[in-house]
Amino acid sequence: MDLIRKASQWASGKSPWILHFNAGACNGCDIEVVDCVTPRYDLERFGVVKQGSPRHADVLICTGAVTLQTRDRLKQIYEQMPEPKRVIAVGTCACTGGVFDGCYCVTGGIDTVIPVDVYVPGCAVRPDEIISAVERALSLKTDGEGDKK
Amino acid sequence: MEVLQMLFKVLLFPGFLFLTSYAFAAEYIDRKLHARMQNRKGPKWYIPFADFFKLIGKQTIIHDDAHAGIIKAMPVVSLAGVATAFIYIPVVGSSAVFSFEGDIIIVLYFLSLPVLTQFLAGWYSRSLYATIGASRVITQMFAYEVPLFMCLLAPSLIANTWSVSGITQYYSEHPLYALINLPAFAVALITVQSKLSKAPFDAPEAETEIVSGPYVEYTGRPLAFFRMSADCEEVVLISLVSAIFLPFLSGNAVIDVILYFVKTLAILFVLTLMRTVTARLRVNQTVTLCWRYLVPAALLQMIVNLIVRGWLA
Ligand code: SF4
Repeated sequence: MDLIRKASQWASGKSPWILHFNAGACNGCDIEVVDCVTPRYDLERFGVVKQGSPRHADVLICTGAVTLQTRDRLKQIYEQMPEPKRVIAVGTCACTGGVFDGCYCVTGGIDTVIPVDVYVPGCAVRPDEIISAVERALSLKTDGEGDKK
Repeated sequence: MEVLQMLFKVLLFPGFLFLTSYAFAAEYIDRKLHARMQNRKGPKWYIPFADFFKLIGKQTIIHDDAHAGIIKAMPVVSLAGVATAFIYIPVVGSSAVFSFEGDIIIVLYFLSLPVLTQFLAGWYSRSLYATIGASRVITQMFAYEVPLFMCLLAPSLIANTWSVSGITQYYSEHPLYALINLPAFAVALITVQSKLSKAPFDAPEAETEIVSGPYVEYTGRPLAFFRMSADCEEVVLISLVSAIFLPFLSGNAVIDVILYFVKTLAILFVLTLMRTVTARLRVNQTVTLCWRYLVPAALLQMIVNLIVRGWLA
């Protein structure tokens, strides 16, 4: 049993499955997330697989400021993910609300709805920054050890 | 002694341990080849193991509407079916761990189990995507199962035996007769791809439409075992196809093991190539392909084989 626990501890950093959620981005950051799986960046080198179902995902990659339309859905998707899970806010909008902050239909950054582990600022972010953020998110041992704002 | 030897064969080589390790290796080779064909680097060799152990360590969520018993039992049933089928398939030379007259039927029956478990798993997940996936699984099964059975049984008509080991034995003694079965071999490759629900037959798991079909609600351990059983199923199917259609043996045990790997990896390469260069077919297109083209081809093969058999007798 101990061996299996050790094996799964070793494995948890080696095979991050990501789920991409657009909470209200202008699509700039989403294109960069998709860039990561293209031959130029090829996230599969690190074992990263893009999954469709939140049930299969380890890392939730969120882009954009949270709009009123997506707020409940974001919360639902986060709750559907099995533990241990990590959240990465990709893009200035996802970190703080960015240019959309204060808009009548926007609640702000991702962390106004769900806890965020790693922030990646930038408008739009670069794919290599997303890759390093995924690596960093997986190296976190416990919740609340991630970036502070 | 006898019992110990049997246990060694069933559990270690060429049994369960060999099957699972080769299954992970096959998944790696498949993903790596797929990546290289797309001009990517591809995963490292330990990624399939890491995927498995990571899922083992994750939380298992079974939501209230789902049937917990079935959700937990199905992956194990599927894996058991696949592993049982494997012991009737010859790995070293032409003799399987167990064999008797008619075991090809048993193998095909056990290989239908994973599909049925996929269906039940999807159905009892009580999720819209999973239900659609489950119905696609079963529709697709009715399309490919008949040509698959027909093209696997056609070679046995010439060999005049219904055991996988017997067929391998016969064709390794008469390698030229294997050439007659080439059309059936082609049909077998296509239907095997369809049974594994890989592109172009990945409609049951179509990620862009129904997320991941029957597996949508699966998490943690059950998902790990389902993935493992799918990998094992691939190995069992390619071993079966290579035993029946590529019966080239040397008589020396070591060379035979090497030959086994060469043959199965060649088939794996063809399957990966097929999945890389094709796009997804709709379920009705799969059904049309199977019933309009593959079934007549397999039927023709059977008739030809019957004539050859009459001529040989
Ligand atoms: S950070 Fe920039 S590119 Fe990204 S969603 Fe916001 S506005 Fe668009």
